[in-house]
Amino acid sequence: MSGTSQGAPPPAEIDIRAEMRRAAASLAAAAHDRRARAVTSDLSVDESLLLHSIGWEAVDVVFGSSVVSIPPGVWNWGSGEIAAASEAHNLAVRSAGDHLGEQCSAVRGHGVVGVRVEVDVQRHHVDVELTGTAVRPVKGKDAANVFVSDLSARDFTLLHNAGWGPIGLAFGASFVYAPRRSVGTTMRQSSQNVELTNFTEAMYSAREAGMEHMQRSALDMGAHGIVAVRVADGPMWFAHHAIGFTAWGTAVRLEAESHQYLRPQMVLPLDDATVEFEAQSLR
Amino acid sequence: MDEPGRPDGDEGAEGDLPEAAGRRLGGGSFSSGLTVPDFAACLQMGLRPVGLVQGFCVMQWGWYGAGSPYMRGMTPYSFGGSAPRGVYSESYRCPHGGYVYSNEHRIWGQNYQQPWVESAWGQGFGSAYTRLVEEAQEVGAHGVIGVVDSTRHLAEMNVTEFHILGTAVVVEDAPAPGGGTPWTTYLAGQRLAKLVEAGYMPVSVVAALASVRVWAYCVTEMLMEGTVSVWGSGYLPVSEIEQLSRAHIAARSLAREHVRGQLGTDDLQGAQIVANTQRLSQGDEVIECTLRGSRVRRFKDFDPLPAPRPTVRLS
Repeated sequence: MSGTSQGAPPPAEIDIRAEMRRAAASLAAAAHDRRARAVTSDLSVDESLLLHSIGWEAVDVVFGSSVVSIPPGVWNWGSGEIAAASEAHNLAVRSAGDHLGEQCSAVRGHGVVGVRVEVDVQRHHVDVELTGTAVRPVKGKDAANVFVSDLSARDFTLLHNAGWGPIGLAFGASFVYAPRRSVGTTMRQSSQNVELTNFTEAMYSAREAGMEHMQRSALDMGAHGIVAVRVADGPMWFAHHAIGFTAWGTAVRLEAESHQYLRPQMVLPLDDATVEFEAQSLR
Repeated sequence: MDEPGRPDGDEGAEGDLPEAAGRRLGGGSFSSGLTVPDFAACLQMGLRPVGLVQGFCVMQWGWYGAGSPYMRGMTPYSFGGSAPRGVYSESYRCPHGGYVYSNEHRIWGQNYQQPWVESAWGQGFGSAYTRLVEEAQEVGAHGVIGVVDSTRHLAEMNVTEFHILGTAVVVEDAPAPGGGTPWTTYLAGQRLAKLVEAGYMPVSVVAALASVRVWAYCVTEMLMEGTVSVWGSGYLPVSEIEQLSRAHIAARSLAREHVRGQLGTDDLQGAQIVANTQRLSQGDEVIECTLRGSRVRRFKDFDPLPAPRPTVRLS
């Protein structure tokens, strides 16, 4: 996003040299903005400006952490979903999100944007760390419910302008056993190029359960949909016969009467990419 | 320079700029760590580079006794006691009746902040930073932009190097900063220009470390080990390990409060948070969190910003 909306007066030209001199001279004077509490933010300058353009501002960097235990023995060979591991994973994310929301409410934020999600699954525990910046409308009242979103401030601004709003982090995880092959099957397949259907089916099973968890968490929040979904899957490093699948994204809801079409303007950059060639072609 | 926690016999960093550095900085040509686009943007803003300035400090981490990660069972805050005012600490007690099972049963545990580690880190970073600023003053700079800092372990010793560098600049046609101390920022180029256009002036880089030691009690230990319940039948259920969750949040919140203490009424822009967990045994951990960013001061009100216009690139 760049420039001004159509029909708006063009912004006044800024003399950046004069602004720089004025800014440097200001350090000799007392602080311009005297507030009781300093603002902390992990947003970039661009993101802060974008937030400001829709009447929002950063409040504070906030954190949520959770460590949840996984009972012993659940990674042993078996069949079907490893329910205890899936439950532990989903509990850890939910709890960390709750902690993040509490910190956001404490500083009177309306939500948290740009949340960085870090998940570490170990044999006996799941660690979840969430970090983001609490934001609020400049002229807003306290929020009844705060949202948690892994969308960047740029995407949040775009979503806001389109009439939608984030309402929470939708998350789903599932862990499934890949069943053992029989001795005969293993021997027969050892010299063949074949699909390992036990692993393929385990991945499908984990995918379905994980996506189901995520969709259910979004519906529980009253979402209309989930955007920017990311997925990760693969065997666990400490139990190669167990397949894990996780999916997460931001649950969103239409807040305007209807979707606002943003009508993006097409631009054609004039800086052509450098044409590269191999020196050998000149021979 | 007044550095808290400086050991006896250390003369400090003030005035210790090497003679060779003084000669080099007065050599007549400038050096800069800026990229070419950042260099061009700074000239456009009226910032004239005058030298690449740096600060180093090598710290040895001492034997911290009761605070050492290897001194399990020792705590500076006694059983049932509490930490000094303003220092984070909370205790956890065994719910199983104490010594019923064995002498090795962890009848209590504690999360506690390690201010001695934090102040040592602050001393190392602070000394390197002060030396950077001294070099900037030596070349008559008004500010230092594009600051980059790093910490790394040297050799196999318990030694850490702090290194900070940046490009010293003069603001053309502007007076020297009040007190003669240059301002500093992690930003440079167009990002710095946008910051100034938005009405903020960099004051200084700020950074802090928070360190929290977890001494696990029996429940945390068993949940982290995945051991079978010895006081009941069956396995432990899926449950949040509250002691660890609270320690992780505390480490991050303490880092934020340490930085907030350096801000006054100014703001922190572009915060970077890095957390490391050193696992010592099941449940016993040291959690260290560093938070750094640019302290900025508002020098004018926000001008009303135009609504952004979405664009789609055709290339």
